[in-house]
Amino acid sequence: MTSPTAAAPHAPLPADPHRSWYEESARGRLSHLLDAGSFSEFLGPQRRELSPHLALFNLPRQFDDGIVVGAGALAGKPVLVAAQEGRFMGGAIGEVHGAKLTGLLHAARQMKRDVVILFDTGGVRLQEANAGELAISEIIRATVQARAAGVRVVGLLGGRAGCYGGGSLIAGCCSALVISEQGRLSVSGPEVIETNKGVEEFDSKDRALVWRTMGGKHRYLIGGVDLFVADTVAAFRAGALAALDRPPTLDQAVLAAEQARLERRLARFGDTADGTEVWARLGVNQPTDVPDMDLDDFLTIANRQREGADAAR
Amino acid sequence: MRDWNTKGRDRQARLDAGRHFAAGKIVAAHDLVAFLEAVLRPGDRVCLEGDNQKQADLLAKALAKADPAKIHDLHMVQSGVVLPEHLDIFETGIARRLDFSYSGPQSARIARMMFGGQIELGAVHTYLELFARYFIDLTPQVALIAAVSADKDGNLYTGPNTEDTPTVVEATSFGKGLVIAQVGEIVDRVPRVDIPADQVHFVVNAQRPFYVEPLFTRDPAAITETQILTAMLAIKGLYAPYGVRRLNHGIGFNTAAIELLLPTFGERLGLKGKVCTHWALNPHPTLIPAIESGWVEQIHCFGSEVGMEDYMRARPDIFFTGPDGSLRSNRAFCQTAGLYACDMFIGSTLQIDLAGNSSTVTGGRVAGFGGAPNMGSDARGRRHPSAPWLRAGEEADPDGTPALRRGRKLVVQIGETFGDGNAPMFVERLGALELADKLHLDLAPVMVYGDDVTHIVTEEGIANLLLCRDKDEREQAIRGVAGYTEVGRARDRKMVERLRERKVIQRPEDLGIDPLDADRGLLVAHSIKDLMIASGGLYRPPSRFRNW
Repeated sequence: MTSPTAAAPHAPLPADPHRSWYEESARGRLSHLLDAGSFSEFLGPQRRELSPHLALFNLPRQFDDGIVVGAGALAGKPVLVAAQEGRFMGGAIGEVHGAKLTGLLHAARQMKRDVVILFDTGGVRLQEANAGELAISEIIRATVQARAAGVRVVGLLGGRAGCYGGGSLIAGCCSALVISEQGRLSVSGPEVIETNKGVEEFDSKDRALVWRTMGGKHRYLIGGVDLFVADTVAAFRAGALAALDRPPTLDQAVLAAEQARLERRLARFGDTADGTEVWARLGVNQPTDVPDMDLDDFLTIANRQREGADAAR
Repeated sequence: MRDWNTKGRDRQARLDAGRHFAAGKIVAAHDLVAFLEAVLRPGDRVCLEGDNQKQADLLAKALAKADPAKIHDLHMVQSGVVLPEHLDIFETGIARRLDFSYSGPQSARIARMMFGGQIELGAVHTYLELFARYFIDLTPQVALIAAVSADKDGNLYTGPNTEDTPTVVEATSFGKGLVIAQVGEIVDRVPRVDIPADQVHFVVNAQRPFYVEPLFTRDPAAITETQILTAMLAIKGLYAPYGVRRLNHGIGFNTAAIELLLPTFGERLGLKGKVCTHWALNPHPTLIPAIESGWVEQIHCFGSEVGMEDYMRARPDIFFTGPDGSLRSNRAFCQTAGLYACDMFIGSTLQIDLAGNSSTVTGGRVAGFGGAPNMGSDARGRRHPSAPWLRAGEEADPDGTPALRRGRKLVVQIGETFGDGNAPMFVERLGALELADKLHLDLAPVMVYGDDVTHIVTEEGIANLLLCRDKDEREQAIRGVAGYTEVGRARDRKMVERLRERKVIQRPEDLGIDPLDADRGLLVAHSIKDLMIASGGLYRPPSRFRNW
């Protein structure tokens, strides 16, 4: 439900900057992220571009298929935006959902306009498996093409459903990523790991473990993301602006640096079993204290000890 | 001449048999199975301690490993059937008959075993009712209990999760039974004596704490806006007009929402100090913000809650704590308090029928009762007046002689018209009746009887059943808040409108509540982390509830 404050039509800045990003809907996040009144939606719910597959399974459909795409402005600068709705089928990517994002990225390349993606997804929608997998490939290709044309593609990671599966692969292709403590980024989700490898390998119900392995603080410490922000709509707006200030470069040197970074990560941390062990190797003095640290304490330590990814983006 | 001490001699024989395995009172953990085989006799009445929270898990595992050729046909009399071993012993024949109270996590398996005839069921009780029977006709011959620590004499420290232990020990030990305790450690001096050594016969060192389930932790992040609306209705439509100061809350998300709305919505209504001051309640983490903002004067607890220990230790004015500083809970006393000294019980349920009977039995599951039917019933033995109790009595019987009129406890069922998995909360026929047919039970497992229920709250409004004058009015009042369920759609619209004019039914707008105001922004805490912060870091949430 959109809050009354979010609907304030002409406010220059979000009316309640402390609202939780994690708690907001896709539309709520967009209304707080963008300059007030600047958003115009493409293929909005009134067009009723419904999933052609879900009805076969007797599952409810949504008029926007769980993603909101359109154009808006961030501090006066025009951007294209996509926001996934984690509350509809866990933000899972189906045929229409994927096509909307692909189209947006194609437009970004042609218009030379930066893109901000508000991730909130468990990955491919299982009921639309093949169409969903194809959509992921198309989105990745469109992302890389847009970036090759000099467009920035910024990912914001702080949604309830996290950013998993194919969604995490798309995030990995972004020019910059912004995450909150609540954000999660991982290819395989906790339940998938437990199902395939057993509860001894990974207890998906141990939420603290989930956050130590996939959560925002961990991803920031190992250089999997570029910016760490508080879980507020204002902090994500500021984070998006900062991420859009970063260079859009995607060339051979960047890819080589990324490859070297990942090889180094594997060599350094490949045998660890828990986030706390990784943080200890990074040189964090009291690794078990990391989850309870507040934002300022965490950033002080993290910015001193973390693995940077700057050269690799 | 009659022997007047057969029970005492029986216990002495068991003590002698057990001593072969013990140094003083201390039994080594690796001898535990053989020890149990030595002190137990076929057909014994045994209380294996465990409820919806704490578990004598080491003793349960050891009992399950006993040789059914030696130990068989036990009659288990215990609060909770919760661990797999609690049912394993019925499969192997170690146990045959069962009297219990709660079986939440084993509700499906226990039902299958009852259908299959592997369990001979005595009865499903409320906690207080089962405790009562420990002193009358179900006195255990052996009790297997759990404590935090023991000294060498056998004095026990049961800690914040004292719960059922004093009651079980009282009945067993003074009834000439044998008390065997598992403890997490043996210490020189226990922090406080919860159970005196002369009531404890053997102690086994498990070298780890007994298992405790964090059953009462509700994550604010999972509370929906519909639940917030029902909470607003309850606060403004019930807590405020009746002035409910002494109460018990159930375990569900609707009541968690009420706890989280007190410092916001409740404060705005000017209710602080006027409602929700005295509680019979487990230490719900969601009550922390209300405690911190000065709403709560005192709480007595059935049990503890994992992670709340340090917080309660730091709030001794609010909680009952011992000389060591930690919480002392006591399920029997708190249940009694909930029955006699509270003016309101409010809790969620899964099914309500047209007479207002409610049940948590669905689809062949036997979850038992726990304490809710005791809290959620009128105490016919109550004699002290209070404003809410007298007012409820007057609403039920406006023409009665005031000085001879019983008051009524407010027994409120709260929930959404469609619950989990879109299952309707309102039904023509309770699932409990099918279960009773299938198991040939004399009584269907009804959680709260219709004649005890005074109000039903849904997102559609509040039905005040005290104001209903006959069966038809009750039925239409219930249908009137049943929304778009089949039961709701079959309502008599004209009669429901008349009931609304008489305020038997009150819609959100009748109470000046706009459903669109039911926003998560009203919750004083949005996450478990918010609760931890509100406690000043004293609340330590278990790992499974942390999303950081």
